Amino acid sequence: MKTTVETGRSLETVGLSRSFGGVHAVRDATVTFQQGKINALIGPNGSGKTTFFNCVTGMIKPDSGTVTFKGHDITRRSPHRIARAGIGRSFQLCRVFPRMTVLENLLVAVQPKGLRDLLSGARNPAEIDRARALLVRVGIDHLENSEARNLSYGQQKLLELAGVLMGDPDTIMLDEPAGGVNPALIGRIATLVQELNAEGKTFLVVEHNMELVMSLSDHVIVFDRGRPIAEGPPETVQSDPRVLEAYLGV
Amino acid sequence: MPNASDTRHPTSTAGSPAVTATEPTGTGATGSGTNRTWRRVARVVALVVCAALVLAFPELAPNAYILSAGIVVASYACTATAWNFMGGFTGYVSLGHAAFFGLGAYGTAILIRDLGLPSFVAWLLAGLLVLLITIPLGIAALRVRGASFVIVSISFVLILLLVFQGWGSFTGGSDGLVVPRPFPDLLRPEHHRVFFYLFAALLAAMLLAWWAIDRSRFGTGLKAVREDEDKAQALGVPTRNYKLVAYVVSATFTALAGGMYALWFGDLDPIFQFSIMLGSYMVLMALFGGVRHLYGPLLGAVVVGVGLEYFKLEFGDTQLHLVATALLLGLVVLFMPDGLIPAAQALVKRFGPQDSSIREVTAAELLERNRAASGTAGTTDGDRDEPADAAGTGRSEGDASTGGDR
Repeated sequence: MKTTVETGRSLETVGLSRSFGGVHAVRDATVTFQQGKINALIGPNGSGKTTFFNCVTGMIKPDSGTVTFKGHDITRRSPHRIARAGIGRSFQLCRVFPRMTVLENLLVAVQPKGLRDLLSGARNPAEIDRARALLVRVGIDHLENSEARNLSYGQQKLLELAGVLMGDPDTIMLDEPAGGVNPALIGRIATLVQELNAEGKTFLVVEHNMELVMSLSDHVIVFDRGRPIAEGPPETVQSDPRVLEAYLGV
Repeated sequence: MPNASDTRHPTSTAGSPAVTATEPTGTGATGSGTNRTWRRVARVVALVVCAALVLAFPELAPNAYILSAGIVVASYACTATAWNFMGGFTGYVSLGHAAFFGLGAYGTAILIRDLGLPSFVAWLLAGLLVLLITIPLGIAALRVRGASFVIVSISFVLILLLVFQGWGSFTGGSDGLVVPRPFPDLLRPEHHRVFFYLFAALLAAMLLAWWAIDRSRFGTGLKAVREDEDKAQALGVPTRNYKLVAYVVSATFTALAGGMYALWFGDLDPIFQFSIMLGSYMVLMALFGGVRHLYGPLLGAVVVGVGLEYFKLEFGDTQLHLVATALLLGLVVLFMPDGLIPAAQALVKRFGPQDSSIREVTAAELLERNRAASGTAGTTDGDRDEPADAAGTGRSEGDASTGGDR
């Protein structure tokens, strides 16, 4: 394994549950994500991955259980406060601000400090430079003045990632980063994730593309019917009989 | 295991349609400097000409009727612009903004009548009262989105209509309420002239405030709410507070327009002040001109307001003026769904130079760029020592991207 100084726990959930009507989307999920690593969350369709994701980021309030981030209980905080605490996220079907330009999309993520800052001009040169640097990094800087709705799906995925990075989170949650993306772009996203991880960002990736999960992640957590059934390094998880049963029903 | 999501078609390949890039705005690095200066000069000239026209209007108006129609249009412009602080920025469509118009109007009148305050002190105080009232009201209404919010907003105006009609001893009920004239010595034409300028000043203040918010970080956050509220929250925008502030500002400006109307018109009746029609006009005028633009509601108010007055003259006491207005609006919604201003801009752009199309970065360009920025990418890749099998697959995919992407 990668030898890192801090393999502490940054983000963890204890006994997290959420049901919709009679459906227990997430039940009693106790999960610890490894800080500074690329954590992957996998599981069959309907196993509660996205609900779990939404509970952690505050988009859905859990029925019970707790979410802690760096020792703070963030369970019932609103999504924007969780984002400001340092957890950035992408959405399952890529979501950008369609009628804003690519550059404006990034400027939304700038956090104003105080009232003066809030009412000052949105086009701050230092922040525009930072946004441009991120666009260069993900490779869509030539589109900065295009409206986001005119971008292709893959470009929108890259834009969404750049938007998350603009908030400078230290934990980044990606919901199916490779979904609906051509293989070449999947590679580009994977490289970006690895580079960012090397710079110290913790990742939590929900993904169906097993090849990507196995190559990218340090730690894999498998969900089935709303709770984690196995976790560990990718090679161990891959051969775990419980995982095979959940996926293949054998 | 197969990729479960590969049924969707990736669109980022060469087959993507060539879409024209939008023009560079503001600090866009690619925009040529002279072009931008030219545009700025044109904008200032247009602004000065329009302001001069507004200032000269009372002199140019051939008779008192035209002047009073001008005031009605100016008051429409105020209400539509006030509405746009909420509707335009956040995308929350309130059909019940007439509630705040009526509260401002009745508040002003009752404060003058019962407390004997000077007219314009009462006017400001009524605005302040509406500001305070809309804080709890906004907290309640903004718990819902979309169609539900529209319904809640309508309920406000209906409730207030019933209250103001029923509580006759306080509000004058359906007999109406006479508002003491602020300038009792002025003759009618002079009174109209003064109020035309007062409405114009109020409108200018609103436009200035809208412009300031539009360019601010607060405005960026509000527009993000309009585009995708959940996404904005996930990026750290405190959407609930932002929406509430926009709502309160919008309601307060609407109330100030209502109070001004009360002082000008001098006679209030709940059926007109708390009317669904008035609230709908605000929405329709703003949509007509274009809600994303500073002057959209103003332009919509001028076109629709003048249209309404004209149709009223043509069709007399019948309700046909409403039918004619509806037809006009139907045409705009069908052919200019974003409003007049964007439609005009698109027309201008069609005759202007065509912008470059959006394209993917070519493999050669990407290689070039990676070479230029070789320091960072190279070292970070090297620093990772993962299990050989995992790292190997990952890296080969990464390489494929640099080589094969186009």
